Amino acid sequence: MTTTRLRRPGTNLGRSILRDWRLYVMLILPLAFYIIFCYKPMLGVGIAFTRYNPVGGMWKSKWIGLDNFKFVMKMPDFPIALGNTLLLNFMGLIAGFPIPIILAIMLNEIRSTRVKKVSQTLLYLPHFLSWVIIGGMVLQIFAPTTGVVNATLLKWGWIDKNIPFLTEGWPWRITYTVVGVWQSMGWGTILYLSAITGINMELFEAAKIDGANKLQQIWHVTLPGIRSTIVVLLILNVGQMMNISFDRPYIMGNTRVQNYCDVLSTFVYRAGITNAQFARATAIGLFQSVVGLIMVSSANFVTKRLGEDGIW
Amino acid sequence: MKKTLTLVLALVMMLSLALPAFADEGWVELRVEAYDRTIAGFNLEDCWQLRYAQEHFGDPNKIKLVFVPVPRWTEGEVLTTQLGGGTAPDLCMTYNGDLINQYIEFDGLYQLDALLEEYGPNLKAFLGDDLLKFGQQDRDGDGTKEQWFLSARRLSVANVGNFIRADWLKALNMEKPTDIESFTAYLKAAKEAGLGGTRTIPMHFDLYESNPLYNVVRFADAFIDFSQVTEEDWFAYSGLHEMLPGSKEAYRWFNQLYHEGLLYENFDINDDTATDSALLNGYFGFFSMQPDQPWRTDKNYQKEMETAVEGAEWVSVNCFKNESLGKYLHDEYAANGLSIIIPKNGGATTEEKAIAAIKYMDWMAQPENMFAMQNGVEGINYLEVTADGIPTKVQSADAVPDENKMHAGDICFISNGLYYGSPEKNAAAIALGFDEKYQANIVESYVHAGTDAWTQTSFSIPIQAETDYGAMIKSKQGEFLSKVVTCDPTEFDAIYDAAIQDILNTGASELIEEQRAAYQAGEFRGTFPGAK
Repeated sequence: MTTTRLRRPGTNLGRSILRDWRLYVMLILPLAFYIIFCYKPMLGVGIAFTRYNPVGGMWKSKWIGLDNFKFVMKMPDFPIALGNTLLLNFMGLIAGFPIPIILAIMLNEIRSTRVKKVSQTLLYLPHFLSWVIIGGMVLQIFAPTTGVVNATLLKWGWIDKNIPFLTEGWPWRITYTVVGVWQSMGWGTILYLSAITGINMELFEAAKIDGANKLQQIWHVTLPGIRSTIVVLLILNVGQMMNISFDRPYIMGNTRVQNYCDVLSTFVYRAGITNAQFARATAIGLFQSVVGLIMVSSANFVTKRLGEDGIW
Repeated sequence: MKKTLTLVLALVMMLSLALPAFADEGWVELRVEAYDRTIAGFNLEDCWQLRYAQEHFGDPNKIKLVFVPVPRWTEGEVLTTQLGGGTAPDLCMTYNGDLINQYIEFDGLYQLDALLEEYGPNLKAFLGDDLLKFGQQDRDGDGTKEQWFLSARRLSVANVGNFIRADWLKALNMEKPTDIESFTAYLKAAKEAGLGGTRTIPMHFDLYESNPLYNVVRFADAFIDFSQVTEEDWFAYSGLHEMLPGSKEAYRWFNQLYHEGLLYENFDINDDTATDSALLNGYFGFFSMQPDQPWRTDKNYQKEMETAVEGAEWVSVNCFKNESLGKYLHDEYAANGLSIIIPKNGGATTEEKAIAAIKYMDWMAQPENMFAMQNGVEGINYLEVTADGIPTKVQSADAVPDENKMHAGDICFISNGLYYGSPEKNAAAIALGFDEKYQANIVESYVHAGTDAWTQTSFSIPIQAETDYGAMIKSKQGEFLSKVVTCDPTEFDAIYDAAIQDILNTGASELIEEQRAAYQAGEFRGTFPGAK
């Protein structure tokens, strides 16, 4: 099959720029954003290989090869932080990935626009709360003895010992995951909702005529319709497995669960930032990025093999 | 036509934005770091002290002063990032000595010898030679030490304040405890009698995340067996007292207190607001902070507790007796306060700014200026002056209008404590700065804080292991404290030994070795309480 070319070859770029210059002008801002905030800082990873001196800058610092990497990875806390990062992210993915999909489908089925809008807004709300505030709420709710849950249950006599939501390893991990899911699930529905809106309504009608009930419609029309969105988001999420935000584990953690809440970001903070060891912090950051790249590439490879589109 | 007009208008607007910069010709902008303690109604960036300094120092010298607020409790981290990112103020201060050592090594600070000589005669005189020595290091290795930073002058070296409820003692018909045994008896009796209501918390101490054992050591040191500790050990284990002989029993004692419900159950869960409200509502029977903490004018725990619980009263207690020495050990600060630097990177990018910074501190060091910067205005910040010239009837922060609110120590940073010219006057002034009805209690607290006091240890050469592992060790110590205090008493010994080993593996062994070497080289400061 031959494709019809609308423009003559050779001059198409110049012409299309001329024709659509307004669109290209609009592109300048996001481009500048990526160049300034994403590409330019990449030069800075060089400091990971130096005995970095912030005063002289990267080029005046002494090149020491992989010493920073060796130093950091030999610290006893490094494997703990690495393991926790992967585990917490994995738990977050297992619990947090399907919920926005289910939620989006449920929201989509709400008939009354007003109820839909109100529930959407309520679900989005936690996304805009800072973790400092959520951390305070978590303490109010889950703290031993004084927290609402423990205090109430103790008073009713349902339990005679505190539930260690924040003070023991596994309960802490679950609290961490559940709070994270609660915070982000509403926000996560946005992409799915827009994907659902994109499904051809005629498909639903055809299914209805064929006698499909609501669940069958969801299973056979809605889900396949948003499959590519699900796959792309899954690949992107897998690529984020090595990255973990600083504020959430730092604020929700405490010394009693140190071995469970210490993740790469909090480790970097201690090993790098607090003592001005920027090169060591960068080394861990670079390590995280490389692993992240490998993960996202392999996830993409696997999905392509499974016959999906992938992200590139 | 329309297009040309738009263009012209746009140009005019841009010019008008750029103009004020030209008008400032000959002026130097000096950005000064200022600790922010979020005192309600107090705006650091436009406070009375800034306006006063601008008028009396800035304007005549063509220096525009700007205060850059930095949160007090994360100052070290914030300054680290600012220095790294080149956005630090021109004149900075920090308690993080390790950070300063690194920037000296980086050649990131202005050398101050010549600048002080030329522009800082009053400053030099105020600080004195002994204090200046703290900031001297031999960076180039030529055998003479150069001046890299200045240490603020600390007028009161008292550090430890332990407080007990006088009203509870009275209700229990008990005397003030004088040793660990009688103190434990008090805690037990207070719990049994439920003196703070259902939420009675007999004992509490604050856990600082950046140094978890800081407040614990003051009790734990009472258990150290000094017959087994040499002066060399004392310095080698600086910051690691939990490893000294006898300390284990201290943590066993904490473990007992915890399991008997005598210690605040959530002591290690970051719950500042809950702790504060428990303190103010009178649930606590004991707490430990700075010697003047309950009565400070910017946050008066005593006054607020009185309003919640009638007759409630904090008094200082001296009960952490070390039996092996027969002494009540209290650690004291060394004479140096925070460290003041003029960074090159991002900070004072020109020598002009470095000169302005020294001039500013020199101005501040002159008695009349320091008096104003520390005390404010008569009739507003304080109502009367004694015959000795010391302000009295100092008003609490909420009694001072917002535009006159101030913080003496943070902004007049070269002096840690109010300075009136002589040690006697300074000491007398400490109590006079507080509400009259609490003055006897404050004096008692300072007397206790100075009893059998030893000066905190430090080293006069950089300790590399501290740079490499310091933060890691601190976080392990936090974990250690949680573990040994909350663990099952039957498992205590095993958990304690494992947790100590954990700290050692995290870099403490290197730290001990290096600190021992520094001691042997004579590069140490501070005192050994076990000295014969």
